Amino acid sequence: MLKSLSVAAAIALTAAAAPAFAETRSSVTIASPWEVASYDPAVAGFTIQKLQIMENLVDADATGALRPGLATKWTASEDGLTWEFTLREGVRFHDGSAFDAEAAVLALTRAWGQPGLLKKAPITDIAAQDGKVVVTLETPFTALPAFMAHATTIIPAPAAFDAEGKPVALIGTGPFAVSAFTPPQSISLLRNEAYWGEKAKLETATYLAAGRAETRALLAESGDADIVFTLDAAGYSHLSHVDTIETSAVPIPRVVALKVNSGHPFFNDPKARQALSLAIPRDGIARAITRFPEAAADQLFPPALNRWHSATIEPLQTDLEAAKTLLADLGWVPGDDGILTRDGERFAITLRTFPDRPELPLIATALQDQWREIGIELEVSVASYSEIPAGHQDGSLHVALYARNYGLTPDPIGSVLQDFGPGGGDWGAMGWENQKVVDALKVIASTSDQELRQTNIDTVANLLQQELPVIPVVWYQHTVSIDKNLEGVIIDPLQRSYGLSEMYWAKD
Amino acid sequence: MQQTNTIPSTHAQTKQTKQPLAKVLGFALVAGLAIAAIGGPGLIGVDPAKQSLLATLSPPSLAHPLGTDHLGRDMAARLLSGAQLSLSLALLSVLTAGLPGTILGVTSAWFGGWTDRILGAFADAVLAMPGLLLVLMLAAIAPGSWWTLYAGISLTLWVEYFRYTRQRARIVLADPSVEASRLLGLGPLLLVRRHLIPEIGPGLLTIAAFGAATAVTAVAALGFVNVGVRPPTAEWGVMMTELLPYWREAPFLILQPVACLVITVLALHLSVGGLRRS
Amino acid sequence: MAHYFKSVLTVLAARGLQAIIVAVIVGIVSFAMMQALPGDAAFRIAAGRYGYDMMDAAAAEAVRLELGLDAPWFVQLWGWLGQLAQFDLGNSLVYGTPVVDEIATQLGYSLLLAGGAIVASLMIALPMGVATGLNPDSLLDRICMGLSVFLRAVPAFALGVVLVLVFAVQLKLFPVAGFRGIENLILPSFTLGIGLAAVSNRVVRDAVVDAMNSDWQLFARTKGLSARLTLARHVLRNAALPVVTYVGVQLAYLIEGVVIVETVFAWPGIGHALVHAIFGRDIAMVQGTALTLGLLYVALNLCVDLACRGIDPRERAV
Repeated sequence: MLKSLSVAAAIALTAAAAPAFAETRSSVTIASPWEVASYDPAVAGFTIQKLQIMENLVDADATGALRPGLATKWTASEDGLTWEFTLREGVRFHDGSAFDAEAAVLALTRAWGQPGLLKKAPITDIAAQDGKVVVTLETPFTALPAFMAHATTIIPAPAAFDAEGKPVALIGTGPFAVSAFTPPQSISLLRNEAYWGEKAKLETATYLAAGRAETRALLAESGDADIVFTLDAAGYSHLSHVDTIETSAVPIPRVVALKVNSGHPFFNDPKARQALSLAIPRDGIARAITRFPEAAADQLFPPALNRWHSATIEPLQTDLEAAKTLLADLGWVPGDDGILTRDGERFAITLRTFPDRPELPLIATALQDQWREIGIELEVSVASYSEIPAGHQDGSLHVALYARNYGLTPDPIGSVLQDFGPGGGDWGAMGWENQKVVDALKVIASTSDQELRQTNIDTVANLLQQELPVIPVVWYQHTVSIDKNLEGVIIDPLQRSYGLSEMYWAKD
Repeated sequence: MQQTNTIPSTHAQTKQTKQPLAKVLGFALVAGLAIAAIGGPGLIGVDPAKQSLLATLSPPSLAHPLGTDHLGRDMAARLLSGAQLSLSLALLSVLTAGLPGTILGVTSAWFGGWTDRILGAFADAVLAMPGLLLVLMLAAIAPGSWWTLYAGISLTLWVEYFRYTRQRARIVLADPSVEASRLLGLGPLLLVRRHLIPEIGPGLLTIAAFGAATAVTAVAALGFVNVGVRPPTAEWGVMMTELLPYWREAPFLILQPVACLVITVLALHLSVGGLRRS
Repeated sequence: MAHYFKSVLTVLAARGLQAIIVAVIVGIVSFAMMQALPGDAAFRIAAGRYGYDMMDAAAAEAVRLELGLDAPWFVQLWGWLGQLAQFDLGNSLVYGTPVVDEIATQLGYSLLLAGGAIVASLMIALPMGVATGLNPDSLLDRICMGLSVFLRAVPAFALGVVLVLVFAVQLKLFPVAGFRGIENLILPSFTLGIGLAAVSNRVVRDAVVDAMNSDWQLFARTKGLSARLTLARHVLRNAALPVVTYVGVQLAYLIEGVVIVETVFAWPGIGHALVHAIFGRDIAMVQGTALTLGLLYVALNLCVDLACRGIDPRERAV
């Protein structure tokens, strides 16, 4: 105990005594809300990937098109059951060890064994063969390369695992290596001079996790942080008037959605779900709460998902009177207190949401107020987000409000399949299954015929719009503030990278 | 082990000159707060939960004398509604923490010896248990419930009363005049009434006044780590947390619940000062 | 002198015993409360690990299997106590890293912050308290009273952001957040310190008033000591005792106050870690952190006890 105390004090003192970074302008500080406290790609993969410490076999550009990463090419066998990934030669990890098929297989096998994306793919084996990574499947699955671009499939060095296979260090192949790690708040990065691709322009970078949006806005305003990600609506409005920084908002494939228990007697008729949808003040929410009026979600898939977003689909409307009529058709009658009743049952339901995204409780409160207008009494329960999958599993959930990311992999089919495939999903449909949607998804997941794929995608999008197993509310924007002198900043709508290696400071 | 006067001794206060004005002001404020708490938003006939997403963060106007919050709700109605909850929270936590704390403190000082040691060790153990842990756990047992919040806060507050009473009572009981009364066989109740209450009462009331503020800011602190009451409940502490994101755009909004709390503590303080001399 | 050492030994023994009792109570209570929490622990731990984009029921089941959460509670408690006896706090259920490592880093930062806060609070409370204590009921006294009430009613997070706005953004004197150097410590320390000083300046004031009214003060003055000398030699020394003890009482509140300040200033402290551990149902982290905080409280109170004995000879006889 005493020993660890004195060690802690020593650490604290060295940290305190370290001089502040000299303004050599070869370094940036980047602030974001996400804390990192683990070496495990399954847990901290998103941040490790974004900071370009570790890389994937497959990379993706800002439009979601796949491009070579640590693998230079990948091919599927005729039957679509075997995938071969040819690996890049001469790549070394930060510790100097060579990147090879064994290292990749070790990392991927571990990722496959952890809860995460690879588990959702029909994989039967991952092996090293003639210096290639060979993945065998049970059924054809065209999204496999996209899965290999996901944050949980980054490749740490074999030395990053201890004897028991537990991750204990952050060693990758990326353009930046870790020079100091203070969980959960900060990671210091140093340029990888032996990087296989184009080396980073900056020498060092510091990542600071600041959980509060107010803190991040102040970091941006003072110039303490050069790039700040994920600003809140109020902070974004304020920072757009500060003249030392530029603010930018990029639409991302994330959507605030309302999951409805379609198995519940109140909601088993699509009309009931349509009524709920008609009573969502999307415009007001997009104007007053998230403050991007154009991001009111009149369909589930946001414009950022260009294949899935449809320009021709009939947009969802807000119309309280129409909602009331629909509910009246279903036999609901207003009671004395204005709350609807049917067969002696009050239309009183609970909405589950979580505070990790500060706008969610606000949107829930807005729904509460609107729905009272159409005679629905809504109780808002703000708790851990695990209450939503838990409520899905035990059937106790009525409605839930959450933010769903359909851009986890460059191709959203994985998430869509989970959400609307057979039996629905923890973060998707509940008590709802549509055979046409299931069939179409099966085709989308396995065919490489683009036209056939698109027809089926349109079918899915249209059916979801009519049936509303999940009701869209607003789409997200990825908000960033950038120092005006920082050049080469690319905001990735898929949020796979902060683009550190491309940045550089303008000459004064 | 620990002895001191934590908070103001009576000695310090008796020197104060009379402040009838302060006293009147204190009582007037307390009365005003009581009316606000009892009447609630009914006083102005506005629904504190009614939103208007097209009129958010608006400055004071005729329709909304104190402006509207981030969801376009009337601030005046929410503050009045918050007064009900916040003031009852403050009152209840002061009572439930103050009564047992004081009684145990007097018991400890009265009997001394092992009783004193055991109670003292118990209080120390409670303080050593991170209070935050207790409050958060209680809040997690029934999320969104106002009662668990209050119980948790109250649980961590009683120790202060205990320590103060124990240590002041010890001094009072050791006073020769009290010793004499004790030897004369005066009953404990009489002793408490005649010697203890006048000596430790004022200090306790001061602790209580600050304790009321502690209870409300504790709710704000809990709200800050995302533990709190269910929307759309209005409570001053919750409002402070809710309005924080808008502190640059509409600073007058977050100042309002803070001002309410300042007025409450000041009112208690002034009227306590008044009581002390009456 | 020998008498002094003997009393120090007594204090050490008493606090040592207290430390053991606290360890056992904190361990069992935090374990019991974690068990009593509603909701499925496997779901919470999976949520803490994988985030809302990746967490689902399948992940929760995998966590349940991995951590043996199905084992009866007494098996789990026994396992923890057994580990503790070997000075092993186990691994964080959420992050997989050893709890000792996490606490070792974070405790250092929290202690730094707590120390900074106490220094800041004394820097404010002592001059304010002595000045008002020497002039009770003056205008200054009343203004300080009003100020104390105001600062007591402002939540720490609001105070924090205002201090940052003024001193970091406008005046550019200190950094906004993070922990690169000692200059990062100033603003969080004062955020906490101002809150503490709001009450402790009144304690100082009353202690000074008491000391000024005491018989020995009058005696010192009549025996011809100057006002300044009396103040330095007698009044302040006597007033110091309650102030130091009050700092001891404040420690308990301080440990909680750090949570907010750590969050606002992105400071990698232990309070912040505790909150996350409770939400993530990270039993090993909660127990480890609670234990550390409890023992820390005992240790700091020991320092307070010893300081009191140093200040006041009468204390040594107790």
